[in-house]
Amino acid sequence: MDVDIKKVNEIISRYDQSEESLLAILQDFQREFHYVPEEGMKRLSDVLYVPESKIYAMGTFYKTLSLEPRGKHTVKVCMGTACHLKGAGQILEAIERELGVKRNHTTVDKRYTIESVNCVGACAMAPVVVVNENYYGHMRPSKIMDVLNKYK
Amino acid sequence: MEKVTIIIDGREVEGIKDQSVLDVARENGIPIPALCYHPEVSTSGGSCRVCLVEAHQNERMRLVTSCNYPVRAGLEIRTDTDLVRRIRKGVLELLLARVPDSEVIRDMARDYGVGEPRFFKDEGEDNRYKCIACGLCTLVCEEVVGVCAISMLNRSREKAPGTPYHKASNACIGCGACVYVCPTSAISMKDEGDTRTIWGKQFTMIRCSVCGNPYIPDAQVDWIVKTTGKDKAFFEKCPDHR
Ligand code: SF4
Ligand code: FES
Repeated sequence: MDVDIKKVNEIISRYDQSEESLLAILQDFQREFHYVPEEGMKRLSDVLYVPESKIYAMGTFYKTLSLEPRGKHTVKVCMGTACHLKGAGQILEAIERELGVKRNHTTVDKRYTIESVNCVGACAMAPVVVVNENYYGHMRPSKIMDVLNKYK
Repeated sequence: MEKVTIIIDGREVEGIKDQSVLDVARENGIPIPALCYHPEVSTSGGSCRVCLVEAHQNERMRLVTSCNYPVRAGLEIRTDTDLVRRIRKGVLELLLARVPDSEVIRDMARDYGVGEPRFFKDEGEDNRYKCIACGLCTLVCEEVVGVCAISMLNRSREKAPGTPYHKASNACIGCGACVYVCPTSAISMKDEGDTRTIWGKQFTMIRCSVCGNPYIPDAQVDWIVKTTGKDKAFFEKCPDHR
């Protein structure tokens, strides 16, 4: 993965050079690169004098931070109570099977990142799948690939 | 240092204000089981919960973790009541469910009459199999060794110590302190001939010039020389032949 080290430095320079800025900087990495790159964490460790292991641990702790490069499209399968009861589990399994990828990971072709999330606030449409910003309600395992194939 | 007198299991014992109840108990030969606490690591303790005791103070009773509960005048501790045994048994049952393969936890659980745990058994991988996620290894590495090569990664059931990116760490000096303090022997370290392997990294061992036994990784010597200014020649002989 090529990460623009200039961009990394620019993001770091936006903040106070202290340990308190760590999380904010990691969040900015996530926003810029759609994941937290190893190069970014290494540089951060050198600049802030914080052990790399602590920065990495922080990266593994927060769900909003991803340590793997993300796919072009984000597919969120709602696992909230209502969706769960309406069979969200089977939908997730269908996606995993069809795309050959595990939940919370990215397909090899970097097209989709699959996430299971807890309630997207659209329980009336359960079960719900959200692709990027678009909501798809009353989803069924047999219909899911038709939806995903729209996203190239 | 202010001395205080407290009562443990009906016995009057003396401690220093703010010393932990567990330390005072140990000094007086009163056994309390403990896993995640080490007296040389100031930030350790409070994680495994097996050291629970009853603390009676100001006519109130609380269950507290003895490893990080400070002694104060007027404190009375009971280490072996029915309540303590019952709660500790519950704690051990949960620990056993997490690490069914740990001999240490199995033995302790058996002593408290825990059979098969009623909870979902965790079939983990690698070091998670015996790891109770207390974090003592990471605290030693940071506070005592001073290199901070490992940290607790992930959360909840996946929580376990590891190096950044699960790769050989630049910071690790191969000292084995993490292995030494681990209460459940969950960290693997292999010494074969002149090579030590730990956390996926290999270290070259230095041999004692007298007995010829490999006894310390060269990276550890470099680290000690760098941080303390000690003469490197000092490490040519092992502690037994100095
Ligand atoms: S062996 Fe490595 S990880 Fe373990 S305490 Fe020593 S430096 Fe830290
Ligand atoms: S030894 Fe006290 S909580 Fe683990």
